[in-house]
Amino acid sequence: MGTVLPAAAGPDCKRFRSPRGEHVLVVPFSQIYDLPGDSAETWDADPERAARSLAELSRARPGEVPLGEVHVPAPQSLSLNVSQACNLACGYCYAGRGSFGGRQTTPMSLATALEAVDALLRDGDAAAPFTVGFLGGEPFVNRALIHKVVAYGSQRAAERGLDVRYSVTTNGTLLEEGDLELMRSHRFAVTVSIDGDSAIHDRQRPAAHAARGSWSELVARIRPLLASPGRAQVAARATITRDGLDLRRIFAALRAVGFRDIGFAPLRRAADSAGAFTAADWPRYLGELEALAREQLARLRAGEPLSFANLAIALKQLERGAASPYPCGAGGGYFSVASDGTWYACHRAIGDPAFALGTSRGLSAEARQSFLAQRHVERQTDCVRCWARYLCSGGCHQEAPARSAASCDFIRGWLEFCLAAYAEYGADFHARHSRSVA
Amino acid sequence: MSTQDPIRLLPRNVAARRRLGQPAAAVEIVAGNPASTRLESGVGNCFPGLECDLRNLERRFFPFLEVDDRDDTLEIVAVSSDAVRAARQAGDITADTARAYEQIAAAITPRSRPAIVSIDGVFGPLGAQVVDLTASRRQSIGRTRAPIDNWTAVRLLTEGTLVKLTVQVGRSTVEITGTRVRYLGDDGALADFFRPGELTQSLCSPWTHDFRDCGCFYWASNHPDIAQPPSPVVPSDDVAWNQLVVWERRARDASQPPGAESLAQAVGTPELEMRHHEINRRWQEFNFVVEGREQLGPYAPRRPVGTPLPDRAALIAHLQYAAAVELAVMHEYLAAAFSLPRPGTLSGLLGDDADAAHAEILRVAIGEMRHLRAVNDVLRSLQGSAYAPALRVALQVPGQTPGSTRPVEVRPATPEAIDSFIAVEAPSVSVDGYYTAILATLEAQGARAEAETIRTVMSEGADHWQSFLFVKQWLSRHSPDSYLAVSSLAQAPRNLPAQLTLQQRYGQLLTDLYDGYRLGLPQGAASINAARSLMPDEATGFAAAAWAVAAAGFLVRFDPIVDPRFAAFDPPP
Repeated sequence: MGTVLPAAAGPDCKRFRSPRGEHVLVVPFSQIYDLPGDSAETWDADPERAARSLAELSRARPGEVPLGEVHVPAPQSLSLNVSQACNLACGYCYAGRGSFGGRQTTPMSLATALEAVDALLRDGDAAAPFTVGFLGGEPFVNRALIHKVVAYGSQRAAERGLDVRYSVTTNGTLLEEGDLELMRSHRFAVTVSIDGDSAIHDRQRPAAHAARGSWSELVARIRPLLASPGRAQVAARATITRDGLDLRRIFAALRAVGFRDIGFAPLRRAADSAGAFTAADWPRYLGELEALAREQLARLRAGEPLSFANLAIALKQLERGAASPYPCGAGGGYFSVASDGTWYACHRAIGDPAFALGTSRGLSAEARQSFLAQRHVERQTDCVRCWARYLCSGGCHQEAPARSAASCDFIRGWLEFCLAAYAEYGADFHARHSRSVA
Repeated sequence: MSTQDPIRLLPRNVAARRRLGQPAAAVEIVAGNPASTRLESGVGNCFPGLECDLRNLERRFFPFLEVDDRDDTLEIVAVSSDAVRAARQAGDITADTARAYEQIAAAITPRSRPAIVSIDGVFGPLGAQVVDLTASRRQSIGRTRAPIDNWTAVRLLTEGTLVKLTVQVGRSTVEITGTRVRYLGDDGALADFFRPGELTQSLCSPWTHDFRDCGCFYWASNHPDIAQPPSPVVPSDDVAWNQLVVWERRARDASQPPGAESLAQAVGTPELEMRHHEINRRWQEFNFVVEGREQLGPYAPRRPVGTPLPDRAALIAHLQYAAAVELAVMHEYLAAAFSLPRPGTLSGLLGDDADAAHAEILRVAIGEMRHLRAVNDVLRSLQGSAYAPALRVALQVPGQTPGSTRPVEVRPATPEAIDSFIAVEAPSVSVDGYYTAILATLEAQGARAEAETIRTVMSEGADHWQSFLFVKQWLSRHSPDSYLAVSSLAQAPRNLPAQLTLQQRYGQLLTDLYDGYRLGLPQGAASINAARSLMPDEATGFAAAAWAVAAAGFLVRFDPIVDPRFAAFDPPP
C-alpha cells in the first residue's frame, strides 16, 4: 500500500512575522505556531533546540499518512470530457477547443459516460462524497448527455444512499434555462471561464466562427444563475495573461457582473504561446495579487465575506493545515475520462499515453503506483529543498516543465504573504466563513 | 530555563492545535460556551436527561467495586481483581480483605449479582449507624433518622471514612471493609477510575415531546424548553423581543414580538404548546437556540478583534484605567440597586420585578468587584515587584465610539440609567471595546493565563449586558414612581450619621483591598476576606450602611477620597 521514499532533506520550517507577532510554519503537516515572548529569539539563536522541537512536531501521529509515503487512494471524483468541440476559440486553450490536437475527435456517448459513473460509484468510498464533473471543449455542446448523466447519478445516489455532487467548467455562452434549473436543483460547482471586463475578455475569448467576442452573451446567460443560484455554487475563474495584469480592474469587473467567488490563474503555457508569463512578469503579478488582497482583507475586517478565491482558499487551507505531496488528485482520487472511455490522470492530459491509467473496466494498480511515485513532491529535485513543498506540492503536473526560478519565487512570495495574512486575519476569516469551512 | 527545555510554542492553526493537544480556547472562542462557564453554572441533577447523571458517581463509592443501583437494590457488577492483587502485594489491604473481594468476584455471573445488604459507616449529618438495605421502610425523621433510600445512604457516606459492607454471596454473607472513595483527584478533576462516558451512560435522550412534559430549568442550555424568540429582522429596541417564550409554542409568527399566548409564564395554558404528535411531526420547525436566543439563519459568533497597544507602558496604563472603570461603574450600579425598595417591601408583580431588578443589579455590581480583582491580578503578574494595587476610581468611562468617554453618573434606577448600563456593557463597544485592545496585546505577547483572565472578564460583561436587558424588560412594566424608593439625585449631607458610616466603611473596604492586593496570596488573604465579609453584612457591614442612607431618602454615593491611592483620575490619552 505504501512505498517509503528517502527522507526529505528540505528545510522543515519557515519563520515569519505578522502584526500579531512572531510565528513559525512547521512544514510537515503545515502546522502554524506563535512564538511568544523570547521564544522567537531562542528559535533563531539556538538551531539545535529548534531542531529538537521540529523533529518532535514532524512525526506522523496515529491516523496520519506519513508525507513521504506514496499513498494510492480510491477514486472519488472524475471528469467526463463530454464534448470535443467548442464555440469559442481562445488562443491559450490547453484542449485545442476539445479535440486535444486531434486526439479526441468524437463527443462522448451516453454508454461510455454511464459506464464511467458506475465504475466510480463501485470503486470509491461510499461514505465520502463523489463528484462527477463535465468538461470539454464546451460541455454544453453535448447538453443532452449532461442532463442524462445527472439524472442517472442522482438516481443511483438515492438508491444506494450516496452523496453524489457535480461540477462543470463552462464558457457560459450556451447556457439555457433548463441548464440553469439543472444546476440549481443539484449540488453543482459551476466554474465560469471569464477573463475580466468586455475588452479583456473579448480579446482573449473570441467566438470561433464570427468576428466577435463572447462577453455579452456570457453575462446575459449567467446573470440569472448568479441572482438565483439554488444549490449551485458559482465561481468565476479568470486566466491572467502577461498583457492584462490589472487584477483590481478585473476583480471589480467580475464583482459587477455579480460573481462572489473570483479566482485567477496565471497563464504559464499557452497553445499559441502568446500571453504566457515570462520571468519578468511574476514579480509584477505578485505585486498585483498582494495589492488586491490587502484591499479585500480590509473589507473582511469590516465584516464583508471574502470573494477573492485565491486568498480565501489559502486562508482556509492554512487554518486547516493542508499538507500534501501532490498538488491535485490526479491519478489518486481524481481521473478524467476521454470520449473513447480511457481514464487519464488529468483532464489536461487527454490523449497523452503517459497519463493513461485504465478504463471503466479497471485501473492499472502498477501504473497508478508508478505515476504517483514519480510525481511525489519529494522526488522533484528542485522541490525537495523548498519550505513550501507541502503547500505548493510542485504545482500542476502539466505545467511542471514551465516551472522556473521566477515562478517558484512567486509562489513562495504569495505563500509568505498569505501566512502573515492568516496570522493577522485568520480569526476574522474564520468568524465570517466558518460555516462554509464546515 | 534549561537549554533542554522545549521552546514555548502556541498553536495557531488546526493542525498545530491537534498536535499539541491544547484546548482550542487558547486561540479561539467556541461559540455557545462563554469562557466564564463554571461547573456550578452547568445544569445537573440526579435525574437522567441532563449532561450528567450524578448517580453514576456512586457506582464507585467503595474501593475496587463497581455497583449498580437497580430499583433501590445495590448490586455488585464488577470487581477490579487486578487492582485488588496489586493492593495486596503492596500491603495496602489484608489477606482477609483480598479473600473477601475474591469471594464476591466469584459470585458475579451474568444471571446473578451479589447485593449489598447492609452498610456500617458514617452517614454525613446522620452520623454513624448501621443501615439495613433490605428494610422496606426506614425512619426518616427525628434524631435517629436513617437515609431515606439506599442510593441516598451511599450518597451520604462521608468521604475518607471507613465503611463496612455486608454482601449476600449465595446463601451466606461476606463482610468487607474499605474507605469511602474520593470521587475527585487532588487537582479537582474526576478521579481516573471513572471511564469516559460512565457519568452519562444512563441519560435519556431529551428529544421531541419530552420537552412538553417536564418543568422549566430542567433542560440543558443547548436545548432549553424556553428561550428568547428569534431577533427581529429590523433591529428593535422593543423589550418585548427579550421575553422568554415557550420553545414548542403553537404561535410561531416571527415577524411580531411574541404575544402573551406564547410567553414562558403562560405554561399550562391550553393550546400554548403543540401537542405531542404535532411536536414529532413538526420537529424541524423548532429553531436552534444559541446564547439563549432562537436563531433563524446562520449564526456568526462574536469575536473580539482588537489592535495591540504599542508598548508595555500603554498596556499597564490601560489596565490601571480598566480597574478604575470597574470601580466607577460599580458606583453607578450600587446607587441604582439601593434606590430600589428593600426586597419584600412591595407585593405582586411590581414587588417581584423590583426585587429581581435589585438582586440582578447587585449581582452585576459584585461581578464588577470580581473584575477589579482580576485586573489587579493581571497587573501584579505583569509588573512583579513594581506592582501597586489599582484602586483609584475613573471620572470618565468609555463611551459608545472608540476613544470617546462619558462622565460617571450616579443616579437612581430610572429607565435612562438602565439604558446607560446596557450601553456601557454592550458587546464590542464601550468597556468591552476597551478590553479588546488589552486582550490583543496580551495574546500577541503570549501571556496566555493573563489573556484568559481578560477573556473571562469580557465574557461576564456580555452576561451583564444581558442581565440589564432583562432588568429593563421587568421594570418597563411599571412606572418609575411605583418602584423607586429613592428618586432624588441628592447626595446625603456629609454629617448625616448614616452617610458618615457608609463613607467610613467604604474607606475601610478600599484599605483592606489595598493591603490584600499588595501582599498577594496567600499573605493578603486575611485582608481580602475582611473586605469580602464586610460587604454583605446586613447588620454591621457595607450593605447595612447603604440601606440606612437609602432609608433616609438619599442616593448611595461616596464623597471623593483625597488619599492618592484611591483618588479619582482621568483616562490615559
